[in-house]
Amino acid sequence: MTFEQFKEKIFALAKTHGVEAQISYSQNKNFQVRYQNGEMDQYTDAGKFKITLQLLKDGKIGMSYTETLDDPEKVFEDALSNISIIDTEDVEYFYDGKGEYLDIEPYDGSFERLSVKERISYVEKAHEEIRKSSDVINDMAVYGQQMNEMRLSNTLGLDVSYVSGGGFMYAMAVAKDTSPRSAVEFALGRTPIALDPVHVGTKARDEALALVGSQSVKSGKYRVILRSDVFSDILGLLISMISAENAQKNLSPLKGKIGEKIGSDVLSIKDLPYHPLSISSAPFDTQGVPTKEKTIIENGVFKTFLHNLKTAKKDGVEPTGNAMGTGIQPINLYVVPGSKSFDELLKTLDDGLVIIEIEGMHSGANPISGNFSLGAKAFRVEGGQITHGVEQITISGNFLEMIKNIEELGSDLRAFMGIINPSVLISTLDVAGNM
Amino acid sequence: MLERFDKPFVEEILATVVRYGGDFAEVFVEDRYSTNIDLKNGKVEVAQTGRMFGIGIRGFLGDKAIYAYTNDLSKDNILSVARRVGEALGEVKLKDFSIDLRKAEFEDKHFVLLKPEQVKKETKVDYMKRAYESAKNYSPIIAQVVIRYWDYNQHILVANTEGIYATDNRVRTRLMINAVAMKDGQMESGFYGPGAAMGPEFLDRIDVEQAGIRAARIAVRMVDAQPAPAGKMTVVISNEFGGVIFHEAVGHALEASSVARGMSVFAGKLGQQVAAECVSAVDDATIPNAWGSANIDDEGTPTQRIKLIENGVLKGYMIDKLGSRRMGMPSTGSGRRQDYTFAPTSRMSNTFILPGDHHPEEIIASVEYGLYAKTMGGGSVNPATGEFNFAVNEGYLIENGKISKPVKGATLIGKGYEIIQKIEMVGNDVARGQGMCGSYSGSIPADVGQPTIKVREIIVGGRNA
Repeated sequence: MTFEQFKEKIFALAKTHGVEAQISYSQNKNFQVRYQNGEMDQYTDAGKFKITLQLLKDGKIGMSYTETLDDPEKVFEDALSNISIIDTEDVEYFYDGKGEYLDIEPYDGSFERLSVKERISYVEKAHEEIRKSSDVINDMAVYGQQMNEMRLSNTLGLDVSYVSGGGFMYAMAVAKDTSPRSAVEFALGRTPIALDPVHVGTKARDEALALVGSQSVKSGKYRVILRSDVFSDILGLLISMISAENAQKNLSPLKGKIGEKIGSDVLSIKDLPYHPLSISSAPFDTQGVPTKEKTIIENGVFKTFLHNLKTAKKDGVEPTGNAMGTGIQPINLYVVPGSKSFDELLKTLDDGLVIIEIEGMHSGANPISGNFSLGAKAFRVEGGQITHGVEQITISGNFLEMIKNIEELGSDLRAFMGIINPSVLISTLDVAGNM
Repeated sequence: MLERFDKPFVEEILATVVRYGGDFAEVFVEDRYSTNIDLKNGKVEVAQTGRMFGIGIRGFLGDKAIYAYTNDLSKDNILSVARRVGEALGEVKLKDFSIDLRKAEFEDKHFVLLKPEQVKKETKVDYMKRAYESAKNYSPIIAQVVIRYWDYNQHILVANTEGIYATDNRVRTRLMINAVAMKDGQMESGFYGPGAAMGPEFLDRIDVEQAGIRAARIAVRMVDAQPAPAGKMTVVISNEFGGVIFHEAVGHALEASSVARGMSVFAGKLGQQVAAECVSAVDDATIPNAWGSANIDDEGTPTQRIKLIENGVLKGYMIDKLGSRRMGMPSTGSGRRQDYTFAPTSRMSNTFILPGDHHPEEIIASVEYGLYAKTMGGGSVNPATGEFNFAVNEGYLIENGKISKPVKGATLIGKGYEIIQKIEMVGNDVARGQGMCGSYSGSIPADVGQPTIKVREIIVGGRNA
């Protein structure tokens, strides 16, 4: 059975049963290679497809998925029987696809055209670069690429498709010390030119070496820079807070705060359907609603929650094109950069810490309250210069209090998975050390 | 549906890999049916069932490994994937090769009473609602309760060029309760997530009401808690999920994936004293019906109880087939993966510190000032440096040998190999808790465990800096 036949069968069954049906089809290709200490450790070259069916009846959705086209009847029955246990008062909708879709360039598959040799050369070059120092005792390098073709159709007439994808690499260096020092660096992009293995290797190596001799610091309040990669991790908390669904369920501290000042004057955050640095762009969300640019925080003022069809209807607003499965997410959360380079930020910081790594976002940060307490690594900055590495500290605070204390944003914009942001200077943050 | 992978076909796949390059080939076929139900504030919001069905093909040449997976199960496609694996391994050999697959026979240690599909979804929802009611009614300040239910029925087939041809059926069921308490604008949450390698009968074996109360209790206690103090202090870590500290801080560094290439701080240290003498720990995938148990691992090797540390001396690692080749040591049946889209690697199953002699009360009484970490949250570790961090979900101060006031927001950080040398007392109250462990081969069910332990000093990060 082909996918078209499968879809026709499901849509026919839906008609007979008086329900609406929506099918998403995704076909994924995925390649990844990992080297440890210059030797191949893992190599995966693969592909798969998945079909997800949603049936809608009286505002309730039942779901099922499959990875074989064998049995559309069973897939249909499963979804139908799942509707019968749904008892929420929430009303669900499908989208008819009649909106205006942005003309976003699909992924051109440029990584797919690389030979296996070329792909492996990324990890080999990073490894060679890292090993230019004899003080490196271990290293790891990973290269990966993926391509995802997604098609979404429903019985209301929606039929949209998009191809996304790109490549990434990542390297870790471990330097010799009384206890080993590690550092990681990564790169991602829509074209191979975005990945520079020598740069990635150099950054990982130099940072690991710079951490040799790290000490803890005295507990207290510090002026800090959250380097772009660290700030990106912490922004995960904001993603949960700006979900209209969380707000409607009293699980967001931003509930009822539209129009209020929640952050520093210098902070502006948007959601962008497309950004050239990102590999997460999309013209429609997982409900088929067109994506669009929107301002979430403007000069510290909270402007909007992100919506899917259900939450928008509930709040009486337009959907924002941010459905992500059963949840809500930005397409590209974009923090508007400032004008100072990273080095200029260091000078402005003068005396404090640059936080370069945090651990424990999934356990030590609470998106409902915004409180976080996270293990961290840093560099000590004195007189605007990095003086030594800092280990064995935790940083703690509340996300919403912290963004009020943003003094400056850097111009060093970087793209992470679905988040694009610069480094930020925070006027005060609690740091606990063991001295 | 695994029938189409009969011996002649599987032999053809394996032979194809080896014919084009490689000295070992393995096939893993998975047909899994899962159910997920989310109950938010007493109402079912999400109900999803689904099936994943695909094949993973792996080849080795020396200690080089290539993995591929697909769910286009046409014979032509599978054989072309097998050929690609062989080709990626090395030069074309085109030699003749034959395999004599022998069906592996083993005793099923994990008896399942009910298959997930034999129990109505409505019945599963009833248990969820009972847990919800008890959590919600625990206190008027409970503002939100989310209950998640998950079960699956996984049929696997593993075959390799060593002649293994094994099938197994794994069933797991888990209930996850998240309660949020709200008071004076403060929100705190509590979590409890029991699970087992059982069918939905598991819901009857546990007390779902008590499970709900347990999550609610943590949320309510913590909403009144003061911020935890910061600094170096003595920490008593409670039993059960407290074992996450050993899992993260030590267990991951004892997996062949980090030991084999010398990345782990424990590489080359077998037979050496690596922990305090009072510490002994095992990884045991043979415990009947435990969350992380299995008859055979995902490479077809029978599982075993592995002595990791005995009286502080490093005794063993968790080793998969590839690790076995690289380390020159036999596999310990530790090759695991989330599903067919991941190559297996060495992973933990049910990992825990063995009991000592002390009563938990005695341990607390021995501490003049410190932190009692009653319920641990998740954590993570960098196996290359041993650096870890954990959240304490429910914490109390210990003052003059007594538990005094609740404290929140504590994070424990340190280095695994240092912490296990600083364990001073081990309790007699060993218990295990359930979690999902994420690593190279995906997210897999794993039990963590320990008795109550006392660690001389750990750096505690709190908000009272």
